[in-house]
Amino acid sequence: MTRFALIGMLLCALACGMCHGSDKLTDSSQQLPTPSPTPSGDWNAQTRTEQTGSMQTGAGQSENNDLDRIPPSSPEPATPKSKTPAASGANQRIYVENAFTVSSHRGGLIVPAAQEAAQTPWQERLFLDIRKEWKVDNRLNLILSDRLNLRYANDLALPNHENVINDFREGFISWEPRERVYLDIGRINLRSGAALGFNPTDFFKTRAVVEQLTSDPSVLREDRLGTLMLETQYIGQGRALTVALAPALLSSTPVYSNANLPSFNPSIDRTNDHFRLLVKGSFNIGSDFSPELLFYHEGNQIKFGANLTRSFGQRIIAYGEWAGGERTNLIDEALRYGRQTGTLPAAAPSAVPDDPRTRFENDLSLGASYTSSKKITLNLEYHLHQSGFTMKDWSNWFGAGQGQSTSSPIARELWYFREYAVDRQEPLAKQSSFIRVDWIDALIPNLELTGFINSDIYDGSSLVQASAEYYVSKTWTIGAQVNANLGSKRSDFGSLPQIGGILFKVARYF
Amino acid sequence: MKKHMSIRARAAVMLVVTAILSGGITRVRAGGEQPNAKEVIEATDRVRNPGQPFRVALALIEYVNGKPRNQSGLVVYVRQDKQTQQFNNLVRYAEPPRDAGKMVLFKGNNLWFYDPASKASIRISAQQRLVGQASEGDVLTVNLARDYTTKIVGQESLQDADRKNRDCWHLDLAAATPDAIYNRIEYWVERGTYHPIKGKFYSDSGRLLKIAYYHKFEEQIGALRPTQVILIDAVNANLATTIDYSNYRFQEIPEAWFQRDYLPRLRPE
Repeated sequence: MTRFALIGMLLCALACGMCHGSDKLTDSSQQLPTPSPTPSGDWNAQTRTEQTGSMQTGAGQSENNDLDRIPPSSPEPATPKSKTPAASGANQRIYVENAFTVSSHRGGLIVPAAQEAAQTPWQERLFLDIRKEWKVDNRLNLILSDRLNLRYANDLALPNHENVINDFREGFISWEPRERVYLDIGRINLRSGAALGFNPTDFFKTRAVVEQLTSDPSVLREDRLGTLMLETQYIGQGRALTVALAPALLSSTPVYSNANLPSFNPSIDRTNDHFRLLVKGSFNIGSDFSPELLFYHEGNQIKFGANLTRSFGQRIIAYGEWAGGERTNLIDEALRYGRQTGTLPAAAPSAVPDDPRTRFENDLSLGASYTSSKKITLNLEYHLHQSGFTMKDWSNWFGAGQGQSTSSPIARELWYFREYAVDRQEPLAKQSSFIRVDWIDALIPNLELTGFINSDIYDGSSLVQASAEYYVSKTWTIGAQVNANLGSKRSDFGSLPQIGGILFKVARYF
Repeated sequence: MKKHMSIRARAAVMLVVTAILSGGITRVRAGGEQPNAKEVIEATDRVRNPGQPFRVALALIEYVNGKPRNQSGLVVYVRQDKQTQQFNNLVRYAEPPRDAGKMVLFKGNNLWFYDPASKASIRISAQQRLVGQASEGDVLTVNLARDYTTKIVGQESLQDADRKNRDCWHLDLAAATPDAIYNRIEYWVERGTYHPIKGKFYSDSGRLLKIAYYHKFEEQIGALRPTQVILIDAVNANLATTIDYSNYRFQEIPEAWFQRDYLPRLRPE
């Protein structure tokens, strides 16, 4: 699939419906009333004799025609009165999903990668996903979130302990000792951030994403591990304060690959290898502005952050998310982490020029969403990751790797920089753009189309993904997804070994 | 934001309208004198909203060509803002299972969506109240007198959903604040009881979008209220939705619930 075809798939949604800009609800000229069939019960029959009273004035006599369109009979509601929706299922989501993925790899990379060997990798996954809350009493709750994966892939022997992987995402006790004062302890997925494509203030995201099925950042958050922590929160009127303390329990471990994931290990090493402290507070300024400010401490690093949102009219939300603090650049961080965890030889020289100086680096997401009356929501974002790769870094990266063999230490080190960035859930590029489109009831009812384009601003290369989900019934969902790394071989996304992939899935909710 | 709009059904504005106690009606105008439009809509607002925080369970069924297609369930928590007089709403999805636990906060122009799966709170636009087949904006409790200017355009007899004739004031409501969900509403209120009988909801281009019939008046938390709204899609003639209201309950709902940080804390009952 060409880059333009994929981008076209995403943009066609816009062409179809994003043409309304007025403040109040608008309609669509394409949604013309259509003649409807006339099944039993006079459904939509427009010929019923009107019965009107004697005192009518104006348009009263024509009003009763609408009655013919009332559904002929009402079955029992989804939630009978004896069993409220709140009691029936709001405290849990349990589903089984089967996902089959096949991808294709490109050869002739400028910087050779080990993955080039397998040309058509595939993976079959079946997983049971549980999120459930138990109310112990009015002020005490237990929360569990877990996913049990069964997987089989072209590069996995069967049977093998890696065929069964359990992701213990959350398990914590939540206590409310006083009104709207909370104390949570356990493994908690604490998330922050106003943006979609890149969340600088989502400090607990690092190393937490497990076994991703999608590259969509907004979905990746569902598949990540929480951090063992003690969290307290106070929620007042128009203000809130949160303090989270996460102890260092284990030493840092090497970046995991798909082939060495632990089976039933809770992977505490990924989330609790440093002491971490987060303090964040939000407060209302006026009726429409509620900034959130953050202070974060990890190891010897301190960061500050802010989240701002504002509405403009009925359709637009603008948002900004910033975090900044003293750190070195991505290359230096990756080198130090690789050497510390033994992935890279301790005495190995850097394959590219390394700048070990610490400086104040900024991470920024600036964006806006726009919703049309055709049920399409568009998000546009600009991302700055100041410690990421510059044009010069890219030039050095390609220059150092060109002509290397797959097994050369230099090539492995160069690819390690990129694995490290993915593991940290940080962009590799210093500047990038992100466009996301979500279309509800696209073309037919119950069909949701989603797509995004994440582009490196320096070289124009992109990760493009389009997905479709169809809600067959209240319990069954089927879906498909296609993604591609597009760009020249000497570009951010074009230099990746994977050209693209296709995923098919079916899910059953309980 | 993903999927939060996938709740299935179209709905009419949730006018939790009730027949006010006769004394309340009498306060509008004594001695048979005709109330003016403002008094009618204010009386409707007063009887529609219980006057103290409450919660209610909603069951929505969407029909295609007269046959049920999608069902969903919500619980709505409502409290009136003393300063703005508008109603703050907190909507929690219970069904379908894929949406269970998702929440939407409506506080004026401050709208937030929360998904417990991603632990993400995302701010959404007012337009997104109207996205999805169950447009959240349609299940909210609203203050019509605050958000619309009203005039009486006639007195008419029309049939309710049970095809019984009702003597009504025919009101025309024009949006007066940014919080108004629809640009214009035609509204029929029964004379004497102030029951809403029918509503027609228009876009700002003047196009009829939805027609609502208020149905099955029953005693709920101290007053007669419609326990079903039948919503007819005026754009797609094949679609209709019923919304059944149950388990009304007065409940202590602090103002502090209506902010982004509280969404992860709202536990199911």
